[in-house]
Amino acid sequence: MIQISSVEKRQQKKLVILWSITFLILFPLLVTLGLLMRLNQGEWMRMSPGTFYALMTLHGLGMAGSLFSIALAAISYLIATRYARLNIGVGYFSYVSVVLGVLGLAIASLYAKFGAGWYLLYPLPFTGANWPAWSTGLTIISIIVLGIGLLINCLHVLYALAKEYGGITRIAGWQYFKKDPPEKELPSVVMISTISLVPAVLAFLAASVMLIMYLLKYFEPSLAFDPLLLKNLTFFFGHTLVNVTMYIGVGWLYTLLPEFTHRDWKITKVTAIAWNATFFFILFAYFHHLYMDFVQPLPLQYAGQLASYFSAIPATAVTMFGVIVQLYHSKIKWTIVPLMFLLGTAGWAIGGFAAVVDSTISINKVLHNTLWVPAHFHTYMLMGILLFILAFFYYLVGAKEDPGKDQKPKLGFWLFVIGSYSFLLMFYLGGLNSVPRRYSDYGGIPLKNVHETGAHLAQAASVSICLLLLGLMLMYVTLFTKLLRSSRPAAQNETVL
Amino acid sequence: MSQLIVLLTVQGYAAIISLAGAILVIAVVLFLLRTSTTQEDKLAVKKKVYKIRGRYFFALVTCIIILLLVTLQLLPYPKFQSEPGEVVTVVGMQWMWKMAPGTSIETPAAFTGNNEITLPANKAIRFIVTSGDVNHDFAIYDNNGVLVAQTQAMPQYHNELQYVFPQKGDYEILCLEYCGLAHAIMLGKIHVQ
Repeated sequence: MIQISSVEKRQQKKLVILWSITFLILFPLLVTLGLLMRLNQGEWMRMSPGTFYALMTLHGLGMAGSLFSIALAAISYLIATRYARLNIGVGYFSYVSVVLGVLGLAIASLYAKFGAGWYLLYPLPFTGANWPAWSTGLTIISIIVLGIGLLINCLHVLYALAKEYGGITRIAGWQYFKKDPPEKELPSVVMISTISLVPAVLAFLAASVMLIMYLLKYFEPSLAFDPLLLKNLTFFFGHTLVNVTMYIGVGWLYTLLPEFTHRDWKITKVTAIAWNATFFFILFAYFHHLYMDFVQPLPLQYAGQLASYFSAIPATAVTMFGVIVQLYHSKIKWTIVPLMFLLGTAGWAIGGFAAVVDSTISINKVLHNTLWVPAHFHTYMLMGILLFILAFFYYLVGAKEDPGKDQKPKLGFWLFVIGSYSFLLMFYLGGLNSVPRRYSDYGGIPLKNVHETGAHLAQAASVSICLLLLGLMLMYVTLFTKLLRSSRPAAQNETVL
Repeated sequence: MSQLIVLLTVQGYAAIISLAGAILVIAVVLFLLRTSTTQEDKLAVKKKVYKIRGRYFFALVTCIIILLLVTLQLLPYPKFQSEPGEVVTVVGMQWMWKMAPGTSIETPAAFTGNNEITLPANKAIRFIVTSGDVNHDFAIYDNNGVLVAQTQAMPQYHNELQYVFPQKGDYEILCLEYCGLAHAIMLGKIHVQ
């Protein structure tokens, strides 16, 4: 077992607290952009379509990027303080890259109104744009800067783990495939990090190819590329990254929940097989984004539905039953950390179930690009990974070491949960009523009931967002104070993991 | 009334299935909250839960296989389409739809069509859909406001969507792929007689 000095642990803690505070500042700002969009769709405020789509672009890129970044920072911290030595310089390089990238994206969208959507679907950034050309260039370069920082961080974590545990196949848990269990146990978080970060690296590589093509097009507008190829690259990158964010969070669920239940959660042959199968499902499920591209080769359409359906097996039969083993008759004290883990797992399951329904080709043909899509991914992002992240923050500020510091869930938490589910319900009802996504407003829709239903649901969603923001702010009051306090040297001696 | 009609559509079935899934998850959460107040040895718990997990695994795999066998027969792709009664060429451009009967050999930019077209009911119509600039999505809504069919309109490619209009009346065309500033008002209309 690796020995990590208290000095190294303190350095890592300082870094993760910097990440945490940055995320906690950024997140409600990005939620507020969502609120403004829903207010506009609800016809309670008026903004131009150009402003709406610029906010939509920043909201999407900001949320996907910041959630992945904080998930990576959290898992890196757990690894660096327990399982493998990570270079602190790489951590800060990643942080600075992400901050610079986010700054560039904010300038491009808020100042120049760059609004091609988070996915910059080719050739939209270059065709019929109402934003200045330089903002397209700035966006591409910002994503490259941000991506390089995150890619290097992912590669560094994988390298450090492989070095510590004897190679890439061992950190992927292949030694558990044999009949007899291995002599040296592999921590579950190491295997889950590997299964998550390898697809993340592949996603960043796909994004690199895409962004290089975009840069070439930016500097030489006469160039033309295959839109179907670029659509595949775009969704491979976007879908994989969002999926991986969730799975990284599951990594610290396996590590931290047992500390509250006092029941170990070790890798077995079944879990190793399940997680390695998940690796392939993560890579192939993205095809379900292209079901409505009928020219996509048919085997790839089948692969999309098969991978999406079969991903439910390891997720539920292994991880969710694992949570049940942890909690059933455990006499656990329901403080905020384990409760967030339980509700986060539930949010993942509910959003995942709606996603699997939408991944059925014959259903997708009437749900694709309606509000059903943001409904399901907001469910597992907001009520899944975000709860895992908040649980990690509460753990970080010493909830485990000193039960006195671990709060029982209070008003803020419940307001946040109720507001969030109410907000999500409006998206689901919108999808059920065929309300399109990515519409600046519904006033132009000639179908009265789609227009009115969309607007009324957006109004209800706006109220719900206010509720969830209020809950979040109430939680922030204590969380911020504790994070700042735990970053002080004296506190670090006590609470370094 | 339109809310009730929605429940009888594919969207309605999707919502009912998803609601059932969500209720099951909530039931498990409540069960865990209630049963976690007492303590039992972990090995005994494991034995009980794994017994259920084994059954769950086989039930889930069976369900998945059945669902795949059924749903993969109902695909909207050309291979699964019958001979069309009529063919319509559709071109999406920022921010309008151009539609005309027959198969066009013109480039999307040169293609002339209208954003309204009249088509017969109860006849298989094949829409050959492409784009003259960015990605769009050709989505057909019935007069109850229910999305009934769609396909992407992609530059350089032709997607073939087939649909039988079951009743006479006006169907609206919306764009469902974000395509820029006026995406929300990129409209068309099909008069079905």
